[in-house]
Amino acid sequence: MGRMKDFKRFMSFVGKEFNHILRDTRTLMVLIVMPVVMIVLFGFALSTEIKDVKVAVYDPSRDAATSRLISQIDASEYFTVTAFIDSEEGVLEAFRSNSADIALVFEDNFYHRAVHDSDGRLQVIVDGSNTNIGSMAVFYVSSIVSSFQKELAQEAALNQAAAGGSSSSAEAVPSVQIHTSTRMMYNPQMKSAFNFVPGVMGMILMLVCAMMTSVSIVREKERGTMEVLLVSPVKPFSVILAKAIPYFVVSAFILLTVLCLSVFLIKVPISGSLMWVVLVSLLFILVSLSIGILISTLVAKQEVAILISGMVLMLPTMLLSGMLFPIESMPKVLQWISWCVPAKWYIDSIKVMMIQGLGIRYCLDAVLILCGFLTVITGLSVFKFKDRL
Amino acid sequence: MSRGENTRKRIRELLGYADDGFLREDEVIRTEGLTKCFGDFTAVDHISFSVNKGEIFGFLGANGAGKTTAMKMLCGLSKPTGGRAVVAGYDLHFNSDVKRLKKVIGYMSQKFSLYENLRVWENIRLFGGIYGMKDRDIAEKTDELLQRLDLTEQRNRMVRDLPLGWKQKLAFSVAIFHEPRIVFLDEPTGGVDPATRRGFWEMIYDAAERGITVFVTTHYMDEAEYCNRVSIMVDGRIEALDSPAALKQRYGASGMDEVFRMLAGRAKREE
Amino acid sequence: MYSVEADNLIKRYGSSEALRGVSFRVSEGEIFGIIGPDGAGKTSIFRILTTLILPDGGSARVLGLDVVQDYHGIRRRVGYMPGRFSLYQDLSVEENLRFFATLFGTTIEENYDLVKDIYSYLEPFRKRKAGALSGGMKQKLALSCALIHKPDVLFLDEPTTGVDPVSRKEFWTMLRRLREQGLSIVVSTPYMDEATLCDRIALIRKGIFLDTDTPADIISKFTLPLLAVSGPHMPSLLRDIRLIPQVFSCFAFGDTHHVVMRPGELSLEAQINFLNTALHAKGHSGLSIKPIRPNVEDCYMYLDTLEEHS
Repeated sequence: MGRMKDFKRFMSFVGKEFNHILRDTRTLMVLIVMPVVMIVLFGFALSTEIKDVKVAVYDPSRDAATSRLISQIDASEYFTVTAFIDSEEGVLEAFRSNSADIALVFEDNFYHRAVHDSDGRLQVIVDGSNTNIGSMAVFYVSSIVSSFQKELAQEAALNQAAAGGSSSSAEAVPSVQIHTSTRMMYNPQMKSAFNFVPGVMGMILMLVCAMMTSVSIVREKERGTMEVLLVSPVKPFSVILAKAIPYFVVSAFILLTVLCLSVFLIKVPISGSLMWVVLVSLLFILVSLSIGILISTLVAKQEVAILISGMVLMLPTMLLSGMLFPIESMPKVLQWISWCVPAKWYIDSIKVMMIQGLGIRYCLDAVLILCGFLTVITGLSVFKFKDRL
Repeated sequence: MSRGENTRKRIRELLGYADDGFLREDEVIRTEGLTKCFGDFTAVDHISFSVNKGEIFGFLGANGAGKTTAMKMLCGLSKPTGGRAVVAGYDLHFNSDVKRLKKVIGYMSQKFSLYENLRVWENIRLFGGIYGMKDRDIAEKTDELLQRLDLTEQRNRMVRDLPLGWKQKLAFSVAIFHEPRIVFLDEPTGGVDPATRRGFWEMIYDAAERGITVFVTTHYMDEAEYCNRVSIMVDGRIEALDSPAALKQRYGASGMDEVFRMLAGRAKREE
Repeated sequence: MYSVEADNLIKRYGSSEALRGVSFRVSEGEIFGIIGPDGAGKTSIFRILTTLILPDGGSARVLGLDVVQDYHGIRRRVGYMPGRFSLYQDLSVEENLRFFATLFGTTIEENYDLVKDIYSYLEPFRKRKAGALSGGMKQKLALSCALIHKPDVLFLDEPTTGVDPVSRKEFWTMLRRLREQGLSIVVSTPYMDEATLCDRIALIRKGIFLDTDTPADIISKFTLPLLAVSGPHMPSLLRDIRLIPQVFSCFAFGDTHHVVMRPGELSLEAQINFLNTALHAKGHSGLSIKPIRPNVEDCYMYLDTLEEHS
């Protein structure tokens, strides 16, 4: 019976928190509209950008295959071939003079190597300073190249059939292979426009969870309702847990919105496992909630809570998480500080899974660090929590 | 007469509000049918009354009777939705008048009066400056004021470090620092000890003797007795207005609290 | 058994002492009033007794339970209404009450008869947001919420501050009805006129109790003659009375000034004559000087003045 009562009490708490959130329509709208606006704006910016990307070509082999591929790329709506250069070094010059955004570098004897050795090498060099183009361009080039590869393969098969006639099972369809490799110049850590998406996710989730939770707990302190709650048989920590649940739900909803918009509107290729992206995001939400709770145990005024979560959390999240500036190029001290920013680890792992399309094991360290943050911060806030004023 | 003053007069004449003697010679506030509606809720319902020069006027009423709304209108903080009110010669109907009105009134409430994180003299200088006093006048009057309040040695203390009683006295002095014609006091004595409360009223008497009209709300009914005249608001209307002695006689009551309870107890409007 | 026992409570905030040794007992079914101005230490007493803060010295028991050791037990059995309005402004009247009922593992229906008297005032507005209620109504709602779990002791910190006299009167009627049901009530107020509505009162000043007794006994301890003086010009009368060296204290009190003369050989008659003559000499006429019974406020100010002088 006691447990039933406790549960009922807890649920009435959660219900009350939902009421607080849902009745403060203005804040709720900001929370939901802000990420949507950010993603949508970004989506539009991106979709207008990827047209008529200027392509420089270095083609030492000058055979049938290369010229066909080049004309196919030129024919696509995304690319315009603007320059043929004589040497690999010319790429740099083309980028500098802004006469090209990407460069295609074929190897010598491309056709022969592709069809007979199954190893045609094509390098796509991207001017990384133009982040908006980056990975989209690579993505489109790769798709053109791979369809061209199929074409070549079919032709090779036909040629073979025509030439040999007695095609036995021993001589199978020749495997035509073109290996496309990508290189970023000026921006070696693959900072692409899509990086914005994990950045926005990290920032929004941090904002909603840490700031909103801490403010709502501190508000009760300020208004004097906390006094009444403390002078009641309810366990103070369940008061705080009940506060966290609705914000967890709201954050999960925002996460879902952002993910849907990224996938369907701006077509971020979630190449990794969606399940893991969601799970790691939920982990990050928990970390942020625990930070919010920790803040609320330390301060007594709403403004202070906002200031701390705003200045002490948001700024490092924006500046040191790699969302805006590459961490690798920062001074060592700042890099060390950035390790203390949970959002950095979250954004890193989401980048790995969403954009680079790698599995969870490639960002296991970041995920484990997030787990560590969660344990330490929750422990601290339990320790700091007072059941008196 | 300044040019602004002339323009003001022209506008009033055009709108039919010439200085028509609405406000009598010995009066400082006069209202007729003053009304304030919020949507379909009438907070202040056609109140008509006048306050004489140099008078201590008690403005009483239950919570939610419309006192605060009426007071806000008289201070020029809120525009009436009906009726007419002239305060210190300025007609609340005209925005230009309301602006001028604010220079000749003082205001003090229990909730906000002084900046806690400024020093005593900084508060005085600030409010003197707000009301457009000259620096030299401010400096001169500050010394005089501090001496009168026996606060000379505290001039550099933060206001938040002063005892509540002193804060209130200082707040009142600051409210009348620019020699306003009327000072509005909104529950000025909440929470102070009885002796300080009385000391405060002695300051009010002094101000009234210097010719400043005092318009005060309070929940302490014994304080109502200190007023020359009191009005009691019930449900947005003024139910009674007279001197405390006359009111007590009329209602056969021994004290103002009894009068108040008889009148305010009739309230029909809930909240 | 006492509902509340406090022994020599001391509370410091930094270098300032909020409580400097406060002791009192509250019996079962008693209304105990703590009377004094803001900043006298009233709220600190309430917070110690409701286990919200720890005393720096002394000890206290509520319902026989120690406020430091057994705070869980106390929290289950007391009702508390803090000084400021501490309900959820964005929840409706009914939602607030329901929430506080669930908080204590009960329901509105279960204890309805306890709050019926008070809640019936609020019933017509039960869908209204608590933030939109006026002072008197907020106070009734807060009391309902503090009562809904059938506490044994009720702690009310300045429940009537800023509330108009009519609502205050109603509120006290409610408290007296609750007392009849056996509830012990500790209540603080800055309004001295409410003192007589308590069974026993403590007058608090700067962290110490000036006196603790029934209102009648506190008044009976005021043995000096108290004179009520009135005349046509009250403000100057007040000033002139104060200038008379034989006057110990003089305060404006509604429509009269209350005067205490320095203790001496003069009889009451002689004091009145003396005052009359002295004031006539200063140009006052048409004076009325009558001996009156002191009230609690007179006692407070007298004790306050004595304390100030010592």
